[in-house]
Amino acid sequence: MRLLKFTSLFLLLSFSTRFASADVSEGEKLFTANCTSCHAITEKVVGPALKDVHKRRDAAWLTKWIRNSQALVKSGDATAVALYKENNESVMTSFENLSDGQVASIVEYIKAESEKPTAAANASVGGDATGATSSAGAQDGFYNSTTFWGLSIIAIILFVIVFILFSIRKVVDQLYAQKFPEAAAEESVQRISWKERPTSVRYKLFKKHPVVGIIVVILAFTVVGGLVGFDYGNKEVGVQKGYAPVQPINYSHELHAGKYKINCLYCHSGADKSKQATIPSPSTCMNCHAHVTASKNYDGKVSPEIQKIYNAVGWDADKKAYDPAKTQTPIKWVRIHNLPDLAYFNHSQHVKVGKVECQACHGPIETMKVVSQQTSLQMGWCINCHREAKVDMANNDYYQKLHEDLKAQGKSYATVANVGGLECGKCHY
Amino acid sequence: MENKNTYWKGLEELNNDPKFLQAKRNEFAEGIPLEEVLTEQDGELTSNRRDFLKYFGFSVSAVALAACNKAPVKNVIPYIVKPENITPGIPNWYATTNPETGASILVKTREGRPIKIEGNPESPIFKGGASAVEHASLLGLYDNERLKAPQAEGNEVDWNTLDGKIKTGLASAKNIRLISGTVNSPSVKKAIAAFTAKYPNTKHITYEAVSNSAMIDANTQSFGKAVVPGYRFDKAKVIVSFGADFLGTWISPVEFTKQWVINRKVGTAGDGKTEMSRHIQFESNLSLTGSNADMRFPIKPSAEGVILISLYNKLAAMAGSPTLSGAQNIELALNSVENTAKELWAAKGASLVVSGSNNLDNQLLVNAINSLLGNIGTTVDLDNYSNQKYSNDTAFEAFVSDMNNGGVDAVIFMNSNPAYSYYNAKRFEDGLKKVALTVSTSSSVDETSAMCKLYAPDNHYLESWGDAEPKVGYYALIQPTISPVFNTRQAPESLLRWADNSTDYYTFVKGNWSAMGVNETAWNKSLHDGFMYAGEKSAQSYSNSVLPTAAVNAAYQAYTSSKDKIEISLYSKVGLGDGRNANNPWLQELPDPISKVCWDNYAAIGKVTADQLGVKDGDVISITTKGYTIESIPVLVQPGQANNTVSIAVGYGRTHGGKVAKYVGKNAYGLASFNKTVGYNTADAKVAKASGDYELAQTQTHHTIEGRNIIKEASLKEFIKDPKAGNHDHAHIISLWDERDSKGHRWAMAIDMNACTGCGSCVVSCSAENNVPVVGRKEVLNSREMHWIRIDRYYSFKDKNGKSITREAGLAGNMLKGKDETLIDENTNFENVKVAFQPMMCQHCGHAPCETVCPVLATVHSSEGLNHMAYNRCVGTRYCANNCPYKVRRFNWFKYRENDKFDFYMNNDLGRMVINPDVTVRSRGVMEKCSFCIQRVQSGKLQAKVEGRNLKDGDVKTACQQSCPSNAIIFGDINDKSSEIAKLFKNERSYVLLEEYNVQPSVSYMTQIRNVEEAVAGDHAEHGAEHKEEKHEEKAHEHAAHS
Repeated sequence: MRLLKFTSLFLLLSFSTRFASADVSEGEKLFTANCTSCHAITEKVVGPALKDVHKRRDAAWLTKWIRNSQALVKSGDATAVALYKENNESVMTSFENLSDGQVASIVEYIKAESEKPTAAANASVGGDATGATSSAGAQDGFYNSTTFWGLSIIAIILFVIVFILFSIRKVVDQLYAQKFPEAAAEESVQRISWKERPTSVRYKLFKKHPVVGIIVVILAFTVVGGLVGFDYGNKEVGVQKGYAPVQPINYSHELHAGKYKINCLYCHSGADKSKQATIPSPSTCMNCHAHVTASKNYDGKVSPEIQKIYNAVGWDADKKAYDPAKTQTPIKWVRIHNLPDLAYFNHSQHVKVGKVECQACHGPIETMKVVSQQTSLQMGWCINCHREAKVDMANNDYYQKLHEDLKAQGKSYATVANVGGLECGKCHY
Repeated sequence: MENKNTYWKGLEELNNDPKFLQAKRNEFAEGIPLEEVLTEQDGELTSNRRDFLKYFGFSVSAVALAACNKAPVKNVIPYIVKPENITPGIPNWYATTNPETGASILVKTREGRPIKIEGNPESPIFKGGASAVEHASLLGLYDNERLKAPQAEGNEVDWNTLDGKIKTGLASAKNIRLISGTVNSPSVKKAIAAFTAKYPNTKHITYEAVSNSAMIDANTQSFGKAVVPGYRFDKAKVIVSFGADFLGTWISPVEFTKQWVINRKVGTAGDGKTEMSRHIQFESNLSLTGSNADMRFPIKPSAEGVILISLYNKLAAMAGSPTLSGAQNIELALNSVENTAKELWAAKGASLVVSGSNNLDNQLLVNAINSLLGNIGTTVDLDNYSNQKYSNDTAFEAFVSDMNNGGVDAVIFMNSNPAYSYYNAKRFEDGLKKVALTVSTSSSVDETSAMCKLYAPDNHYLESWGDAEPKVGYYALIQPTISPVFNTRQAPESLLRWADNSTDYYTFVKGNWSAMGVNETAWNKSLHDGFMYAGEKSAQSYSNSVLPTAAVNAAYQAYTSSKDKIEISLYSKVGLGDGRNANNPWLQELPDPISKVCWDNYAAIGKVTADQLGVKDGDVISITTKGYTIESIPVLVQPGQANNTVSIAVGYGRTHGGKVAKYVGKNAYGLASFNKTVGYNTADAKVAKASGDYELAQTQTHHTIEGRNIIKEASLKEFIKDPKAGNHDHAHIISLWDERDSKGHRWAMAIDMNACTGCGSCVVSCSAENNVPVVGRKEVLNSREMHWIRIDRYYSFKDKNGKSITREAGLAGNMLKGKDETLIDENTNFENVKVAFQPMMCQHCGHAPCETVCPVLATVHSSEGLNHMAYNRCVGTRYCANNCPYKVRRFNWFKYRENDKFDFYMNNDLGRMVINPDVTVRSRGVMEKCSFCIQRVQSGKLQAKVEGRNLKDGDVKTACQQSCPSNAIIFGDINDKSSEIAKLFKNERSYVLLEEYNVQPSVSYMTQIRNVEEAVAGDHAEHGAEHKEEKHEEKAHEHAAHS
């Protein structure tokens, strides 16, 4: 392990100067956008694992292959033909729009990733995720566990004190009775029950006017119960935080988004252009799963979960072809995040315009084997974010006029609330 | 104030009718319907006052139970293979054509279901306009009373069985008749040709319920062309219409409105134009077109012939042509025929005379006049003719005789319903009983198909392929926007099947187009655009040698014989038309543009005639002709109705066709008669008061504005002299509030009262866009209609000397005479009224009175100038409605969806598919109102943000604006200085309503300009401004002194 780290550091130092134009962060962006649906660094997905690909192939060859692999295969390049055969003749998408510099950036990113120790890579994902949770969790401060346990302990201590005080009083009474037996006996005779004392409030309420008494009790219960219910209703009714229903396919975001880093938008393609983020159709799954069967975990058979996709689309795993004889059956996913109809929410406004990370609302999705609702989705939660989130006016011409006004006022930023993000009609119509 | 209080909502107001007065005092006419609410079938709850405590107790425990409940499990089911161009949440638009009107439309679909229809702005003919009928046709798709499968003798069968039966029947038939409406589709024509080729003893007969047969016959005789001409109202400086309601129902109303309005917009709204066309209307019932005319002359239908003859002779004299011999000169009051002739002659070649009459002589006279004026080839275009509304009355008449003689053994009704609309339904039905094979392709069981044995139900047009050629050379495509909901098949495809042609209709249509020389690229382009049009041909002039000399005697006979009789005339309404759409609740609830009656037809009678007959509003009369009687039809005393006439709308009184259509109003088709063509008026009728009474659901007197000065107008002359004419009296404004500053957008609307025809297209468009529920006749009677936009119609009355009846003058005069508190006296001219239309919706006031009174802040102001309404915050106090000076807020008295008491489209799953998913469906107990289509504003803004660009003018269009056939509504951001709205919101004609309240509305109206001789704006128009200001100063001083 130490040796690996050492070598990687050495390699990093030795190569870092070679591609001056190549940019690891740009490469990462391009890689997530274009490659992750078929490739991962350390694992074979549809295409081969890309770890150390820069060592296996030279840069010129890689550029040609990425731009148009089929052209290379047809040109009779031996490596290309072998690679094509090795991968069951599945055609790699051509990326002719990528410039030389962009390809170099991707290679540079792969290189950087290859040289990273595996554990460190995972940790960084975990780190991001916690960041997202804490920012979302902060708004629900009252319910965070520290406070809860703190309050519980104080309550227990108070109970103990009350108990001790009662005990002391009992002991004092007993001592008093022992010391002055007559006085104590006299006092106990005087101590008449409220039932025989017409001046007592309880007598008036429950003996003289029992109806009034009952009404008072009911009212008291209603008021207390109402308050408790109101509080409960406000925080719990219709709030499905933590809702994690069993889905028809045991799909893991941890595997796809976490381990293989497939871009969220690859599957949820509506998120940056539509109101709905959209659940991918099984045909999208088949882009990869036509090849990826996870059979090595199931004695050479297709994973039963992946088989469910095949059943849905009518795919014959043996022939590797769609079987027209099979009926296609849609998959009934269970909807987790349910906003009431009276609230209008648009994904593209937040994802594309507001550039909000998916995790800000959905939590550390890349660590979830089973997705659960992470936030309350209550109006207060929406509003809090609208109060704090700043509008990126500089990079969107739509805000040009407002931005000029803002600058004229000498302000450096405007929040969503400042541009009307708290107005009723922005979400309720 | 200028022309103060000269406008009236109706006779009730003018007459100080006790009921109206009560309604006025009781501003909201809305007592709490406790009884109804408590006995309402809402869910399964039927409760009364006694149960209240029980339910109260229950509800406490229910809350506890509900708290433990988890929300129901909801599923998301993605496509198996997602179509590339469909993303859930993003609407798809398809260009198609409404085959009924021929109009090019765009259909908005969401997740595969059509939810809105709009005009196609790229169409050079319809120019983005869509009528109420087109908007409402969407609901026909979701009618769950449509036939769900083919039927044979009342049993559902499969298509093969049905086809087998029909083919066997046809094979042995010797005389086959195919009855259809107007066919202007090239492919349907080919399908019919294929059918006729297979069964050569077939006769195809076109039948229209409201026929235009005489016009086609007349054009054949006059010009040798059996066509409906392409009229050009945009080229006409003087338009004279004899009963042709070309803005409402005649031939192609959207096309004509778009043309007509070009010469009606003036000033800033009309690109600085100071010219207007002059529009003169002769008619008996006050039609939409008549109400928009500059001059309107009420005539009896039987007088049309003689007036046309007089007009012809006057023009012939001016032209030096031979006049019609034996004609006497008939003149109306104010020398109107003479004046009309002079005006027409002055605009030779740029004038247009049209007639809506289905009388051959009248149409021949109209042709002769147009020829004399040199209008053929300019405003009457016989080369770019229309293909709409063709029918052949004589052929249909012969068919009915043949049936009765046993000469027909098979008949196919292709979406045609003569059993309802034929004037002698009994004779038709008797004949039909003698036919062995009867097939109907109607998509629901109508009066005709109820008598047929075999049903081959047609698709709705939104499920169909097809084409149309509404105007010659204008090829429009019909494409499906949804797969067929039921097991139905397109009627032309059925014809092909019966002709042993197994091509599916898509292939057939495409094949026809490629035979027309349309290649794949052109086909795709046409499919995308919705039409293919090479442009207009140059119009030729056609000589006309026909002078209807024979018409003279007949016309005079008709005129003299019916001189003292009460005449009946039939007309069709803007909403229901000929009655085929009677099952459409949107159209039933659309108030008639003039009478504002919904859910009924009625006998419109002028005041004088009503007095003679001894009837008033709410009475019922019976009308008897030779072969037909209408029992107890309600009376509506209609200002503007010609004396001694009774007008009744057709299209009502359906006995089949769905639960909405059934028994609404009375069927008036039986009053028509046949003489060469079907005549829609008669003098041989007995009109008598019947016993009973009936209240019509009329919306006009609801939401009354107490006669305040909200209509401003001027004559064209005054306007040219002073663009601010009629718009000088501006209130002196004091504000208690801080001015709002708006940095971003500030949404506003401008309404050109000169352009608005009052057609009601916006009302239906708004209902579709904003999920406005239909409430039904009973609730309209309770003033609880829900429309977010209404079109207020005002009348202005004059006395016999031509002086306006004002509240002060009239009332004082009458009181001096010791009369009751009524302004009506023997001097009032009820036949001729001036009409003004004013669309009215939430004015989005800057200082909104509704906002300050809401105890729960459910209605608040936005930084963009909108008045927001948060339904889920509203607790239903209705304070806002009480405080709204414009009466535009609507309260949800009931839950209108899933409620058997409101069994319209929102009560079934299929009907609810029309609901716009971007707009909340409101529930009981909340207030609602126009939102300026905030969902469109938001999506327009979002689109701009996503694309990272500035919002352009025109990116956001409200539903009412988009639909308006006369471009009367303009919406936009007034903070965008280059926008159209910024120019229009404040111009010389703009004014806001009830300015003196200083509520700062975001809607401004533009003075109505009338092309009339007399001064309209008033005497002190020129110096009004100074006077006013002085007065205000005085007043301000007074105030200061008092305080």
